[in-house]
Amino acid sequence: MAEEIQLDISPMYEGERIRKDDLWVELGGPKADGFELSLAASMDEVEDGKVTIVGPDLGTVPEGSTVPFGMVFKVAGPLIEKDLESIIERRNHALLSAISGFMHLNQRYDIWMRVGKGLKKKGVTSWEQIFKPVTVLYKNEMPFIEKMEVTVYTDPAAVKEELAKAREVYKVRDDRAKGLHDDDVEVFYGCTLCQAFAPTSACCVTPDRPSLCGAISWFDGRAAAKVDPEGPQFAIPKEGLIDEIAGEYESINSMAEQRSGGEYSRMALYTFFDAPHTSCGCFETVGFYMPEVDGIGIVDRDFKGATPNGLPFSTMAGQTGGGKQIVGFLGMGILYYFSTKFLQADGGWRRIVWMPKALKERVKEGISEEMFAKIATEEDVSDLDGLKKFLLKAGHPVVDGVVRTVDSKKITEGWKFEDIDDDIKEKVIAYIEKTGGDIDTEKMIEELVMSEGQFMQVIEALQEDGVL
Amino acid sequence: MGRVIAITGKGGTGKTALSAMLIRHLVKAGGGERVLAIDADPDANLADSLGVEEVMTVGDMREFLQDSRLTLPPDTDKRALLEAKIFEVLQEEDGYDLLVMGKPEGAGCYCYVNNLLKGIMERTVDQYDLIIMDTPAGLEHFSRGVMPDLDTLIVVTDASRRGLTTGERIQELAKTLNVKYKHLFLVANKVTEINRDKIMENAKSLGLQVIGTIPYDESLAKLDLTGEPLIDLPDDSLAVVEVRERIIKEMGL
Repeated sequence: MAEEIQLDISPMYEGERIRKDDLWVELGGPKADGFELSLAASMDEVEDGKVTIVGPDLGTVPEGSTVPFGMVFKVAGPLIEKDLESIIERRNHALLSAISGFMHLNQRYDIWMRVGKGLKKKGVTSWEQIFKPVTVLYKNEMPFIEKMEVTVYTDPAAVKEELAKAREVYKVRDDRAKGLHDDDVEVFYGCTLCQAFAPTSACCVTPDRPSLCGAISWFDGRAAAKVDPEGPQFAIPKEGLIDEIAGEYESINSMAEQRSGGEYSRMALYTFFDAPHTSCGCFETVGFYMPEVDGIGIVDRDFKGATPNGLPFSTMAGQTGGGKQIVGFLGMGILYYFSTKFLQADGGWRRIVWMPKALKERVKEGISEEMFAKIATEEDVSDLDGLKKFLLKAGHPVVDGVVRTVDSKKITEGWKFEDIDDDIKEKVIAYIEKTGGDIDTEKMIEELVMSEGQFMQVIEALQEDGVL
Repeated sequence: MGRVIAITGKGGTGKTALSAMLIRHLVKAGGGERVLAIDADPDANLADSLGVEEVMTVGDMREFLQDSRLTLPPDTDKRALLEAKIFEVLQEEDGYDLLVMGKPEGAGCYCYVNNLLKGIMERTVDQYDLIIMDTPAGLEHFSRGVMPDLDTLIVVTDASRRGLTTGERIQELAKTLNVKYKHLFLVANKVTEINRDKIMENAKSLGLQVIGTIPYDESLAKLDLTGEPLIDLPDDSLAVVEVRERIIKEMGL
């Protein structure tokens, strides 16, 4: 066992960078394999303070070289569960960086560490002299860790092999994180980064609903709020549920009121219509309601052409931005399209009628299977008339009324003529005469561009008129 | 934090050449300061002037982060990731490090990534004693708040009146952008016996302190023409002598 060496450890060394001139050994990084992994284990599987080294020890590595490196921290304690693994692993950066002469950057399979010449001068010759004190650091920092054991891999083949195993663990964690929904958490995060140009914008970031700009996920909010709780990202406790389906909470309402300077007093998460989320201006996509079809179109920044309502992204973004709540327009981040809560109060995907082809392909996995073929793109239609035909033909739910998935409630009535004028009546009469009264619904829809319900509306009106 | 010196000026006045010569001097003098060179002008090429081969830039990494949103593991610590990426583009040269800012942002929202970058730049700059920054006259990176406060702002000018008035405009711009600096100096470049007095007179009328007049230098012009790095300038080059004997001293380095 290597002789114990008193390392200089303090949080003030966290930002310390080991530069080329001070470099003893480089571990992982862009030039070599590397990984870190924290694993929960049972009390009898962990020998506290033990450091196992698989491969060459530090003292034998030539100065200035880069070597592959893996480190596995096995932790145990009565309170330790699998869920804590990634939280413990996330402390690696701060705790390892606290050692003077040791640099740690990045995470998981991207770790990049450097051991400085300073540690060599101190007499360090073994990984054990660095990692044994690290186990003590962890136990001080996280008292629920009762035992911790370290395995260091420096043998290139062993690093490769263990890295492959670690990737499996990361994958399981990622799948769990991807499956995280608003219902699973107790805290949401607010963000006011873009108030510089959108002064009343108050973004609420949840697992199901990333920021409008697409840059900030719930995990980013959590990370940032932890580093600087008074900063532009801050915690919002999920409290005071008002409307589960629209996603309205008292705590979000009061955040919106406070952060918008009193401009808004309500803000719901999963709706387009009543008190929608504020729109900053730099959102990735904008949704727009088209009353003519009672449906919502979506357009992203990269689509330069006009949408079926005649307006391009830039015009709608200009109208919607600035931190406003505008009924009928809504800025949205692309990741929101993958959420099961996507506009759930308004019918979700069943209410979406148009989007650019490239965007549709990009978010394909998020779109419900039943709806994919029913949403038009610029290749299918170029104006509202074309859109109507497409939706009729596709049997889109907006035509006969949308039943929303979340509670099976019918929330729209389907297309109806508000005013049946003579033009419409004449068109229908002419069609009936032409077909001799033998109406094929599909053909009628194609020719008259109206739904069956609308056709029946006209027939009833004609009957009232005594024409039929 | 170390002392931050930004060198700016109208295009073609030789601000990149001066930046390179300052770094050349600091490296050759071997004073032991930790020196960071920042190339903040996408139209210039400080890296070339220093003889550093094609490098990745901060801008590249900013784009990388923007583009990888949908593919990163969901709980990725983006701050840690960007910090490592910025360390990756930091070129470790003999006697100094070089950071190339690269191209400005594309479309879309950069609030978040620039906010991360701001913190990372602060921590990076913190690691050095001297930071020499080649920056465009429009001070673009400053408006994003990713650059540290300055100690010294040097405006490089040629003999033209327009070059000189750049100094004046930069003062106004700095005020608008809220860029703070302690000292503002002027360095005149490509100075000949004929235009020297006129330059000094103009500078005086604009209230700018001149800390160097770099003569038109044959060896400098030659390297410029062939595109060879200025770091290879001979010690007795007229420009190098002016930097060593006057400019460095006036700045108190």
